[in-house]
Amino acid sequence: MKSTHKFGMNNETKEKIKKRYDQILTRGERFWPDSIFKDAVMALAIFLVLVLLASFVGVPVEPKADPSDTSYIPRPEWYFLFLFKFLALYGQIPLLGKIEWLATVIIPTIAILLLVVMPFIDHKSERHYSKRVLPISIMGILVVSMVTLTLMSDVPTGPTLVGALQTIGGLVIPSLAYILLLFVFKNMSNKTMIWTAGITAALMIGFCGAVLALYQAPPSTTETVATTVVEQIQAGQQLYSVNCVECHGDDGKTTTIKGVKGLEGKQIFAINSKDVLNTLDDPALEGVIAYGRPDAGMNPFGKAYNAQGLSKSEMGYIVVFMRYMWDDRFEKPTLKPLYPPLAAGEIPSYEAQIKPIVDRYCVSCHRPQKVNRSYLMDTYDHILKSGDDAPNVTAGDMNSILMQLIQGQRAVVSGDGIDAMPPNGKLPADVVDVFKRWVAAGMPNTAADAKALPTAVPTAKP
Amino acid sequence: MSGSNHLSRRDFMKVTTGVIGGIITVVIGAPVIDYLVDPALRAGAKEAWIPIGKLDSIPIDKPTPFAFTRTQVNGWERTGTSFGGFIIRRSADPKDILILSSRCTHLGCSVNWHADANEFICPCHDAKFSKEGKVLDGPPPKPLNQYTDFKVDGDGNLLIFFKEG
Amino acid sequence: MHSIGMWQKLRTAYTTVYQWLDERLGLGEMYTNLLDRPEPLGNWWNTLGSASLFLFILQAATGIFLTVYYTPSPDHAYDSINYIMTGVAFGWLVRGIHHWGATLMVLVVFIHMLRVFVTASYKYPRELTWLVGVGLLLLTLGMGFTGYLLPWNQKAYWATTVATQIAGSMPFVGDFILKALRGGPDLSALTLQRFFAAHIWILPAVLIALIGIHLYLIIKHGESHFPTKED
Repeated sequence: MKSTHKFGMNNETKEKIKKRYDQILTRGERFWPDSIFKDAVMALAIFLVLVLLASFVGVPVEPKADPSDTSYIPRPEWYFLFLFKFLALYGQIPLLGKIEWLATVIIPTIAILLLVVMPFIDHKSERHYSKRVLPISIMGILVVSMVTLTLMSDVPTGPTLVGALQTIGGLVIPSLAYILLLFVFKNMSNKTMIWTAGITAALMIGFCGAVLALYQAPPSTTETVATTVVEQIQAGQQLYSVNCVECHGDDGKTTTIKGVKGLEGKQIFAINSKDVLNTLDDPALEGVIAYGRPDAGMNPFGKAYNAQGLSKSEMGYIVVFMRYMWDDRFEKPTLKPLYPPLAAGEIPSYEAQIKPIVDRYCVSCHRPQKVNRSYLMDTYDHILKSGDDAPNVTAGDMNSILMQLIQGQRAVVSGDGIDAMPPNGKLPADVVDVFKRWVAAGMPNTAADAKALPTAVPTAKP
Repeated sequence: MSGSNHLSRRDFMKVTTGVIGGIITVVIGAPVIDYLVDPALRAGAKEAWIPIGKLDSIPIDKPTPFAFTRTQVNGWERTGTSFGGFIIRRSADPKDILILSSRCTHLGCSVNWHADANEFICPCHDAKFSKEGKVLDGPPPKPLNQYTDFKVDGDGNLLIFFKEG
Repeated sequence: MHSIGMWQKLRTAYTTVYQWLDERLGLGEMYTNLLDRPEPLGNWWNTLGSASLFLFILQAATGIFLTVYYTPSPDHAYDSINYIMTGVAFGWLVRGIHHWGATLMVLVVFIHMLRVFVTASYKYPRELTWLVGVGLLLLTLGMGFTGYLLPWNQKAYWATTVATQIAGSMPFVGDFILKALRGGPDLSALTLQRFFAAHIWILPAVLIALIGIHLYLIIKHGESHFPTKED
């Protein structure tokens, strides 16, 4: 049996390999316990890293999948980012870049096939690094490009300096290096190959570094995600205050819309009633929010109609808020009070008390592009200075327009027929009291400002 | 045993490997047991005062049915469960009220009031209960359950104290 | 002295039980063939393979525990995972280990592949071990890909939309492959369900079979040694 093997290794070589291995074994160790001990230490290290990551980094929270949100920029899991980036850079190549399947199908397939046939291409018996400089150089360049492409994956491609640097560092340099190594330097000395691979890697890392240094990431606009029921109720309350209070009132019991352009006097269902809450389940309520009720005048709020609309998660929070606050079959968990409670004689500040109150009851209408006589209540300055009738509120003046309206008294202004604020319900007495104390004390902005004021200011009489 | 207290290198590796295996098993195993049995440890005993109607509208000496729904939150799902019963005002005295659950103590079917027979009859196994909820006939082991805690609020609503589970 | 008598009795009982089992299971043979094997002097790079196996076992265990609460449906997948993270005792730990374990497993398997490449351990007689290993690397990536969709959040949904579209760019068969992956033209409940099936049944079954072959081949040929100038 002296046949030569198809893959160029004859029986003699095989015998030699076996003999050498047996010789190595005599100087070796035992699988148990020597190797397993090392394996166990490694396993423990990995396990500890995982427990630490799970405890202190956690799993990033993401909003719920929303098929109607087409503005979302997709990103794959990190270990596919290099492919993602490669496809983006490949698409920049003139002409060739248009043939997408070359990059999406052919190149990955070739890469996998190369791995599969590796033992059959590289079939000589040599194993030491010094005898395998070419394959190790190619693999090295490949690994460096995978790492640099992953690092650059956030940077947009395009006809900019950063885009050009990416294409050169991520595509042109490694391609040139492969051509040099495989076709030009094929029979050169190890030194030449090592230098080529080294310079290539250094250039790629350099270009990647330049790209990362030049690129300025835009501020990320991440949606907040509420996970616990209490967080979801609070998130829902905030969204409800901005988006829904205008028509439905802060407690959802409004049946006649007041002060809303185009919907004045419209009769609607009280959405805190059993008629609504017991007959519509959660998906149905979310559907009403997303798609609106054209017959009843309700606008659609979902992203299918409006890219700036509410996401699926956000509509979910509003429904959770409605359920726990209004549906008597649900047990309301203990929630934080609307504003930090005040001690007797303590002076409220805009930051601590007025802002959460205004956000809950007023901002739904008193924000840009709403009917509000140009009175915006989204910031401290706007509350003091904006509006057609400015100033609406003055320090120490208990008869300002704002103070009259929130107490349901007829205001000095006329013309829009509104003589009380909010138009569809009364503010709770404690809230009105906070306003009185705030105005009487001189309308401090921050909690520190409020502390600095003399505390002996008596509560103003209405 | 060689007689020395000194651990050989091999023995040290064997013991350490065992210890590492033990550590990993315990660190993941103990929390997982809690993870698996967690729903069983959650005491779901929820309490609430449930309004079941105006006291004035309930006739005296006639079992009047009432029903209410409670929503139970099981993990990520919310299920409504219905409960029902009968109010029997023995006299005009707002304290002299008997409130029975309609759940048969045999297998949990809902009993009905039959005015002509003057009894509660369970449709499942023909069990019969008296107007006071006592077992008259059939398999039930106990009389009908009572809602013993009830009160009348300022607006004249009758409320019962409900405890889940 | 009484305690010593007890101790000896226990020892005899242990020996009896061990002998009974050994005659039937061949425990001694197993010990010499599987554990007491000679090996080349190893170093820490040799632990990457067993580290991959350890991570696989950890992923399998935590994955099984996650299915106790996870629901593969667009209506409930997101909420059930939210419940695991906030509602169940130690749910954050089980999911955290599974999440980070996936990341680490891809990394460790890849570095293991690089090590085998650099030391040329794929050469005679270990060509098949390498081939099976390539399969294991691809399956690990497949597990990552299918598992990524299961939380049904924005990132998962859109990443999978794009990834399946990439597979759909294949000439001639692209449209067919896209629909086969998604279970229809769009990403839907069917997609989630089949990714779930692939993630917990199909891919793990193949993975376990290949791991078995991989381990058999390693025991058969022994671990390769680090090459020296003579190799």
